[in-house]
Amino acid sequence: MKKFLNNPENFVDEMLEGIYLAHPEVTNVANDLRCFVRTEPVKGKVGLVTGGGSGHLPLFLGYVGDNMLDGAGVGGVFQSPSSEQILEVTKYVDQGAGVLYLYGNYSGDLINFDMAGELADFDGIKTATVVGCDDVASSVVGEEHKRRGVAGIFFLYKAAGAAAAQMKSLDEVARIAEKASVRTRTIGVALSPCIVPEIGKPSFNIGEDEMEIGMGIHGENGITRKKMAAADDVVDEMMALILAEQSYETESDVAVLINGLGATPLEELYVIYRRTAQVLKQAGANIRHVFIGEFATSMEMAGASISVLKLDDELEPLIAAGANTPFFKHIKF
Amino acid sequence: MDNITKTNLPILFERFSEVFAEQKDALIALDSKVGDSDLGLTMAKGFAAATAAVSALEDASVETQLKTAGVAIARAAPSTMGTLMATGFMRGSAAVKDCEMLGTVQLADFWVAFRDGVAQRGRVQVGDKTVVDVLHPIAETMIKQAESGAALTEALHIAYASASEALEATKDLVAQHGKAAAFQEKTRGIQDAGSTVAVILIKAMADFVSEL
Repeated sequence: MKKFLNNPENFVDEMLEGIYLAHPEVTNVANDLRCFVRTEPVKGKVGLVTGGGSGHLPLFLGYVGDNMLDGAGVGGVFQSPSSEQILEVTKYVDQGAGVLYLYGNYSGDLINFDMAGELADFDGIKTATVVGCDDVASSVVGEEHKRRGVAGIFFLYKAAGAAAAQMKSLDEVARIAEKASVRTRTIGVALSPCIVPEIGKPSFNIGEDEMEIGMGIHGENGITRKKMAAADDVVDEMMALILAEQSYETESDVAVLINGLGATPLEELYVIYRRTAQVLKQAGANIRHVFIGEFATSMEMAGASISVLKLDDELEPLIAAGANTPFFKHIKF
Repeated sequence: MDNITKTNLPILFERFSEVFAEQKDALIALDSKVGDSDLGLTMAKGFAAATAAVSALEDASVETQLKTAGVAIARAAPSTMGTLMATGFMRGSAAVKDCEMLGTVQLADFWVAFRDGVAQRGRVQVGDKTVVDVLHPIAETMIKQAESGAALTEALHIAYASASEALEATKDLVAQHGKAAAFQEKTRGIQDAGSTVAVILIKAMADFVSEL
């Protein structure tokens, strides 16, 4: 293992200390570094709270900022934050209009966010929940609620964040987030494993010449493991899985996200995008918004994911809206 | 007296924390086979916090005491199992709202709400090799005992017997949830750690009531 670490046990807290030093627009509450919030909440706005394990930056806390999220519970590497931490964030973020929990579909996170919601209710804070479950590789059509949440949650943050900034109600913001969730599909491919600092060795093995299509962002099993192929062939195989579920009949507006898993160069992500755009156009889609870079990583895993959001007239301007967070800046055009 | 009252409920929580302190190492050993070894630690911590929180209350109702215990466990034991136990006590407390004391009927309601809360929050079903595999027979046995008008001591001991049997049966199951799920077939033959916690709870409750 070759990593920039001090004591591996302090990895997450030292990362957080660095982030707070670099970005005064975010801070922590409850005397706990892992209760991550915007320094200045917006009065009367629905609060958006996310959270999950560390090891995925910019996910999750990286999207706390203007026109996106208001707070995040930060867990250990690949571990859920506690219900108590989520509750503390909730209390700070609530500005009288209620709080939407928006996070990925993982059992530890579900249990702790649900518990936090129940505790918040005792304190008179209204909460609602929408989970990202965009990974087409993790369950079949008809069982979408069992799917893992991966990079496509970015679209949920973007849409719900912009809607909340327009001072829409909790029910409205939740409805919009749910709509974005239902219309988002993601498929990933992994080329190399990641190392959890406290474990110190790769979480799984994959051959030098192999790839695994559909692998999750914690190394969960994918759909197929096979010999590495040409980039266009890999994209074609990935996009076939998305196209099997969503049709983009002539002039369907879409937003596309090409996400690097941590060790794949930006150059390669553009090679992936080139083919993805060709495939989408051939399928009849009209690409309105493109995001390329690292949005949801898995430590130093090599690989990428492709997310497609099928837009409508309500979602399009929300995806187009400006945003300003420590890890994501978007200028409305 | 064959009832749990608001006066003796804090003593029951003391028993819970004593038993989980005693069982800490055994639970750690059990959990380390397929989990992350933190079960013994979180249960000991969670019930110690519950006991402290309940004994700090003054003249609180049965419902308030059980709810306070649940909230204290949630805060002190932020693991999956801690959160599930917290949920059980919180939902159980709501089921015995306005009850002056807990007899067989009330504790049947308590355990049904406990089981349902844990199953719902954990999104698990009977047979998934989780704590629900033991909570389910406890709840069902308590309902039957309540229907037949059994005294509390007798009802709890029969519930404990059915829980022990169900715990033994978890050895034949394959884990579907949590970290153990990654081991799937390897979990066969191993007693479920979470289910063990439920057996400890019902046994401590039965023993406590026998001594009243």
